[in-house]
Amino acid sequence: MPRRVVITGLGVVSPVGSSVEAFWDSLILGKSGIGPITLFDAGGFPIRIAGEVKDLALESVAEAFPEAAACRDRKVFFALAAASQALCDAKLSDDDLGRALLHVGVGLEAFCLDDLTPYADCPDLGSAIVNSVAEGQTGRPLQTPLDVTCRILGDRYGFLGGRYTNCSACAAGTQVIGEAWQMLREGLAEFALAGATDSMLNPLGLGGFSLLRVLSDENDTPQRACRPFDASRKGTVLSEGAAFVTLETLDHALMRRAKVYAELVGYGSSLDAYRVSDPDNTGQGAVQSMSKALAAAGLGADQIDCVNAHGTGTVKNDVVETAAIKEALGPRAYDIPVHAVKSMTGHMVAASGAAEAVAAALTIHKSMVPPTINIDKPDEQCDLDYVADGARSFSGDTVLSNSFGFGGQNATLIFRRYG
Amino acid sequence: MTRSVVVTGVGLVTPLGQSAGEILDRIAAGNTAASKIPYDAGALLCPYYAPVSRFDPDAFFPENKTLRLMNRDAQMAVVAAHIAMEDAGVRADHTYPSEQIALYGSTGVSNMAVEEMSRIIEYAAADDGSLDLRRFGQIALKRVRPVMSFRILANMPICFVSIFENIRGQNAVYTPWEGQGAQAIASGIRAIQRGDVPCALVGSCDVKTRELSLVNLQQLGVFSSWEHHGRGCIPAEGAGFLVLEDQQKAAERGKRAYARIADYAIRSTESSGDLKSTLTSVMLSLQRTSYGAVIAGGDGDAAIDGSERQAFEQAGVNAVEFLRPKSHVGNLFAAAAPVQVALAAELVSHRNAGRPVLANCFGFGTEQASFLLETPCRGES
Repeated sequence: MPRRVVITGLGVVSPVGSSVEAFWDSLILGKSGIGPITLFDAGGFPIRIAGEVKDLALESVAEAFPEAAACRDRKVFFALAAASQALCDAKLSDDDLGRALLHVGVGLEAFCLDDLTPYADCPDLGSAIVNSVAEGQTGRPLQTPLDVTCRILGDRYGFLGGRYTNCSACAAGTQVIGEAWQMLREGLAEFALAGATDSMLNPLGLGGFSLLRVLSDENDTPQRACRPFDASRKGTVLSEGAAFVTLETLDHALMRRAKVYAELVGYGSSLDAYRVSDPDNTGQGAVQSMSKALAAAGLGADQIDCVNAHGTGTVKNDVVETAAIKEALGPRAYDIPVHAVKSMTGHMVAASGAAEAVAAALTIHKSMVPPTINIDKPDEQCDLDYVADGARSFSGDTVLSNSFGFGGQNATLIFRRYG
Repeated sequence: MTRSVVVTGVGLVTPLGQSAGEILDRIAAGNTAASKIPYDAGALLCPYYAPVSRFDPDAFFPENKTLRLMNRDAQMAVVAAHIAMEDAGVRADHTYPSEQIALYGSTGVSNMAVEEMSRIIEYAAADDGSLDLRRFGQIALKRVRPVMSFRILANMPICFVSIFENIRGQNAVYTPWEGQGAQAIASGIRAIQRGDVPCALVGSCDVKTRELSLVNLQQLGVFSSWEHHGRGCIPAEGAGFLVLEDQQKAAERGKRAYARIADYAIRSTESSGDLKSTLTSVMLSLQRTSYGAVIAGGDGDAAIDGSERQAFEQAGVNAVEFLRPKSHVGNLFAAAAPVQVALAAELVSHRNAGRPVLANCFGFGTEQASFLLETPCRGES
């Protein structure tokens, strides 16, 4: 008999707030976290807006985690801060953590270009880089391995039940929570910390995304730039952040009288196997992901009360996702709120699914649905209730949360009210 | 009751060969794939690497333009995955519905080739060699191929495998060390054991022979054994994939399996923890000490090899034969685990008189794993 699994701790660092309270308050108020890029001089780039994390003192995180001192990557510090919040919120003992699972989703680890440009004129670039860097002339690692966050968190808190570093692109944040749920359900552990972190707000990351033509170039109206499901949407907005949740078997949570935000009841994943650059126009991968999550939860489509959409604001995603939701949920799709957190946070890439899982758990816990902002006139093919008129109260019991990754990886979680 | 999982397909692209049998033959003959790094890399502590020579993805996928979007990691992954699927006789939507085949993979850090990086930095550098962001945004970006992102995102090799093999089932991609490759295999095993899917393609790829990869490894201390002991791991490149199936389903379609995965164990170790204790714990948890053969994790790194030797003693592991493939193939890092398990499967199937084989996936990173492979029970698969 599979075990029941509940969410008992939350942590988030995002462009709309770097605490759970600030994040939630911003979502409910419909505040956008998008603005001009300040992290570097983006003046020469076609895209000059993003969702930057503004209210987290990285120095404070670095002081709390001196073992991260060598890291240059913002996303490591985001993760450490968000994970610490979640563990603090869950109020677990060290004994709980020693046998626990740790699942961390991460994005790309890009080179810092300024390490390499000094060699631009070298006729034998490869040798020049190898010899000068290997001799320690840069004095800092060219790249931080993607498992560094997992290693630091694992060592600090003593996670020895299994450490997983997932790099499933935009689906990573949802996958890590789903994989942790699966393992707790199977009885492989009683407790897990799962979440994801990302920041591609660097020249190479922003440049790479710009080339893909999926970003909104509305540099003069940043807070309006991300408009999921709106007829005039022009693309998504890159952002950054991290989010973590603690998952426990229900028995474990009850035994220690833990606060329960929501029960996680279903997880599904799928692959489009279509193209690396586009979602499958038929949305079958997304339908499969949602259908598998429903089956795992033992729920019918008519038992889903809210959808936390992937909702990126790209021309293709929103139409395909709307069609997929309608196919997966049938007529129920028209009766329930479907909202897009990314309209406010921007696209936190690998971290987005984890942040949206936090939002889904809070939707249930706080009985409120955040809005999708910036919808003036919905796309004709986007004909669901996108909560365009502001946050509203929520009396339902279940929230389905979608993440669809670059490359065709899809993942869905289903949360249910506990108690 | 959980389902029994068997290996029915193996696909390898390694510096020492493209089949488990070929690799074992060459190991037995004392061959090694290592060669001296052919360019001026005097500052590297490790003087050798193990590239795959004569790798030709076009031979497997003629006139497939998608290959041009892919980096070498991904090209190796799609070739190895294709060999494994053909070996198993599994075709998506023929043998099993495409959404009923899971895909779990792992990848290393996706480093750019220097030639590609040079296109970017040439136009991003100011006259004094500093980074000029205006030039980067206004000039360099226009000269970079839009496919750059497809080459550097770490999940892409596995996504390309899904596209090439039309696999649409449950999935995850892990990174970046051998232990994460083992986790991918374990995830496939569990998916079948739970009854989620009858079949899973699991595997990994990694290319650690490029200039930037070598620098990265040195900065991470991976070559420190060379400095202190005059020997160490030899960075390699390649990919390995396994087709895992529900034993009963494989038997129903008349497919002979290489081996049954009787058990596995994965343990985490703290970065500064006692590796020997972790390795001992991993092997002890398999509750067997006597094997026909052991595929050792050892790859030349003095500390890791020493810990494994001590762990063998502490766990009381004995075997007719101990093989150390990485000292011949090189260290495939993220891609090492499926190669280790593939060699174990070949031994069980063809060379080991049916005795069980232990495949250790030990090395850098915090996760250490062992797999126990046996002959499938008579009358089954």
